[in-house]
Amino acid sequence: MTAQQRMELVCPAGTPATLRAAVTAGADAVYCGFSDDTNARNFPGLNFSPKEMAEGIRFAHGHGSKVLVAINTFARAGDTDPWRRAADTAVACDADAVIAADIAVLDHMAQNYPKTRLHLSVQAAAATPEAIGFYLEAFAVRRVVLPRVLSVQEIKALNSAIAVETEAFVFGGLCVMMEGRCHLSSYATGRSPNLNGVCSPPEAVSYDERGQATTARLAGFTIDRYDPGTPAGYPTLCKGRFTAGGKTGYLFEDPVSLNAGTMIVALREAGITALKIEGRQRGKGYVSEVVRAFRHAVDAAELGRDAVEIEGILAALSEGGRQTTGAYRKTWR
Amino acid sequence: MRDGEEMSLPAFARRILPPFAGLPLGPFLTLSLRSLARRRPQIFERLGEHRHARYLIDPTDLPFAFCVVPDSTSAVVRVVFRSAETPSDVAIRGPILLLLGVLEGTLDGDALFFHRAISVTGKTEAVVALRNAIEDAELRPSDLLGLTGALGRFADAGILGGLDVARRVATTATPTRREVEI
Repeated sequence: MTAQQRMELVCPAGTPATLRAAVTAGADAVYCGFSDDTNARNFPGLNFSPKEMAEGIRFAHGHGSKVLVAINTFARAGDTDPWRRAADTAVACDADAVIAADIAVLDHMAQNYPKTRLHLSVQAAAATPEAIGFYLEAFAVRRVVLPRVLSVQEIKALNSAIAVETEAFVFGGLCVMMEGRCHLSSYATGRSPNLNGVCSPPEAVSYDERGQATTARLAGFTIDRYDPGTPAGYPTLCKGRFTAGGKTGYLFEDPVSLNAGTMIVALREAGITALKIEGRQRGKGYVSEVVRAFRHAVDAAELGRDAVEIEGILAALSEGGRQTTGAYRKTWR
Repeated sequence: MRDGEEMSLPAFARRILPPFAGLPLGPFLTLSLRSLARRRPQIFERLGEHRHARYLIDPTDLPFAFCVVPDSTSAVVRVVFRSAETPSDVAIRGPILLLLGVLEGTLDGDALFFHRAISVTGKTEAVVALRNAIEDAELRPSDLLGLTGALGRFADAGILGGLDVARRVATTATPTRREVEI
């Protein structure tokens, strides 16, 4: 990416109303998926029918925004039709790009729709020049969504070694550092983000109130117990609080949200093309507020300024009420 | 973030509301919900199988709660009292102004949950489906009342304005807690 190019703000939408909210709040592009196993946010009541997708894309294009369709789960052996159909439908709806991780989906797109942009999903966990080079050569991907495991310095070095756009997450839920390779949810529930599009499927989640405390469980595993007034997190095992070796704490990861709002200039200088906000499962209120804040921040970054106040503005919307810059600023090194 | 205690109705407002004051709301909301289902069936389609679930909507600062089965044109809303054991698949609890804020889309349900301002027990998938259906519906008071045109706009302005005033009154009635708007 050259310094003159304007960074693209890529925003989430779980419903048509949220897509409109994201576009209205200033998204350059919106990413969303169909209501089935083909996308990694396959929750009840969420996502788009083919008709809603076509209408959403028309709305976005009418307002100068793009729509990127996420078909980013891995196709089931012997049952690849839903993924093939989703890709065909996305193209028929005039999607600006398809985001995919599975080489079968990538191959279907590359073979049949070479004019449609292909973005490599974070689920592919491509973080080396060799891996990215393979996807570029084999499927002509135009952009790679980087796993949230790299420091800014590492992103800069990576970008200097590849010839493809890169997209970095800047806000929202933060997976434990095993992008596309996490088996915690499938171990506990039999369903996983990579194959079924759901991490901690809601039918396996329960909240029990006993006395003043609330206990969160996933498929019978106690994840955490919250005292009154204590901020809660998503009911995922990776954010659970467990007792081991006589100590109680967050074994995998604290329930915090990523907020790299103060690092936009650094990411820009590291060669990032697009900034991604996580949260297709979140509502209009969240999307509107986060997109609006990052629109200001990105516009400020284009003038060489970071928007420090973005941390305070968005703290209330964060999981666990806390935020981190994640791996971008690896203070432990 | 507005927390649950801060956004509860002031004590004087709760005292003047006897439990039976909510009873007429049951038939009225049933008719409203069925009318909405006829006009906008796609809202209820988003619920999928969860349209048959029994949702206990429990405004913790009111003397009564609502048991809702959002089964499209067969939807039923009943007003229930806390003294009675009401069977339900899922219970959503919180101050009425926060619950209404989630319904009209001005407040983020996840953020309220993270900060423990509202609570959820029972079938989580039914709550997720309801949350997503409501999020996409972009409901206005006029939608529930079945009003259109100038009358609808008048109802929206009046009711939403009233809610805003009520939230401000609730907030100023408990000045000891620090508020940061979401």
